[in-house]
Amino acid sequence: MVGRRVVVVAVVVLQLGLIARGYWADHKEFAFQMFPESSTWRADVVRVTADGRRVPVEQPWSGYRWDELVQSRGLSYPSVRHHADAGLANQLAFLEAALDWVAGNTPRDRETRYLEAKVTSWHNADPPRVGVLRSRIREGAG
Amino acid sequence: MNVATPHAPSQARGLVARFDALLGRAVSMRAFALLRVLAGPVVLLHLRPFLADGIDGRVYRDAFYEPYATWYPELPDALYVGLLWVAAVAAVAMSLGFLTRLATATTFAIVTYNLFLSTTHFHNNRAYLVIVLAMLAVAPCGRELSLDAWIRRRRGLPALDPSAPAWPLWLLRFECAAIYGASGLSKLLDPDWFGGTVTWQRVTRAEDELQAWPLPDWALSLLTDRGFHTGAAKFIVLTELFIAAGLWWRGTRYAAVWVAVVFHLSIEVSASVQVFSYLALAVLVIWAVPSTRDRVLRIDSAQVPQRRLGVLVHRLDWLARFRVEPAPPGSPLEVLDRDGTVIRGAPALAFTLSRLPLTAWFALPTLLLPAVRRARRQRSDERAMIAARPT
Repeated sequence: MVGRRVVVVAVVVLQLGLIARGYWADHKEFAFQMFPESSTWRADVVRVTADGRRVPVEQPWSGYRWDELVQSRGLSYPSVRHHADAGLANQLAFLEAALDWVAGNTPRDRETRYLEAKVTSWHNADPPRVGVLRSRIREGAG
Repeated sequence: MNVATPHAPSQARGLVARFDALLGRAVSMRAFALLRVLAGPVVLLHLRPFLADGIDGRVYRDAFYEPYATWYPELPDALYVGLLWVAAVAAVAMSLGFLTRLATATTFAIVTYNLFLSTTHFHNNRAYLVIVLAMLAVAPCGRELSLDAWIRRRRGLPALDPSAPAWPLWLLRFECAAIYGASGLSKLLDPDWFGGTVTWQRVTRAEDELQAWPLPDWALSLLTDRGFHTGAAKFIVLTELFIAAGLWWRGTRYAAVWVAVVFHLSIEVSASVQVFSYLALAVLVIWAVPSTRDRVLRIDSAQVPQRRLGVLVHRLDWLARFRVEPAPPGSPLEVLDRDGTVIRGAPALAFTLSRLPLTAWFALPTLLLPAVRRARRQRSDERAMIAARPT
């Protein structure tokens, strides 16, 4: 009987906590904020090579293609303006994670030092904001 | 010193005792059994893209993904894809009610494991699916509407008690209401949402798609009008909050369910929400009062319309609302409700159809017709008079 009570109270408290967490977390797991924003975004994503060149990821490199490496969460074609399905913060957190993942999972690429995204975002009807996201530095590039 | 202090511990004990009684009260698991049947196809729909990738030789880690934790176990590709197929088989077994407990627990475990493999896997509909599967896994929901029950009957074994402690039901009801509430509250607190900016922008950006719909010009211009969204957004927010609150009270429950059906169908045709609509519609069955065969439908089989209704009830009474009994020849259709109210004729037909899951949405509005309301009220008044008579 005590166990049952504890389980029920724990689930209720946890659920309410996760709903509250949704108001500040980028990833809003179990917060159930449906269709939260009409925000949109686009980004110019480039590879910054060891010699300083900035090469758009739309150009294949070392046998890799961005749209094959990054297929989910609306990130395949970042230069096209997209709706941020689960909100802008969530979308940009995914983009930042995607930059890191590509930087860490392209072993044939020996020239890219890091990836950089110049992001233009429109939060609902607000004026556009521009920001820069960078992947971690790749060791041994160049 | 506060004079109420000595009573406080006993009051607290009383509250805890009432809480325990609420959680432990044996209730019918029929709604859970029906939800289990409906959840199987939803799981298959959910797994479909993962399985399709597996067939094409792709898994999640072939492209960008983001683990929640470095310690979270990841399986070799073949094992991972195999696990997804096990989940699909388990979902079918869960739906059929074959080795129900094992099948439901397996489905829950694999769907949950897959969800937490990557932040990119996470969507609200999948989170809801995990919650529903968790509740089904802890509730003994395989004792009805299942192959397990059929096999027991075939072996001549006595049927297992289809009732169980109510706590999984209360938890799932809480989760169901919390989802509408959380969604509505987040919109209520966001001035852009409540003021209509979000919906207006979403619609105007999709104007090209809207024009492909068979909509008259006035509807198109209404849908893209900023002023319309100022009101529509508030209507949407209040709808979600009404569903969240309305489901809890008997007086508003049927209205909340009816509104929820419209709400989900509207979302399904206007947005891409994966399995959310199917799941949310299926979960609505848990709001049925958790007792079975506590209404009596009296049918004169000699009358063709009544006989047909009997067949319909036999086939569609998935929540086991009615016990069907024969009525004397020439009797009108009669329903004896669980509170003793007797309804006859056309109002009884409307009432019966309003309690069957598949016809409820169509029949519920007819309960508002004056004739039906009068029939139900009249019978209640008669009962009140009988009860007031001195014995």
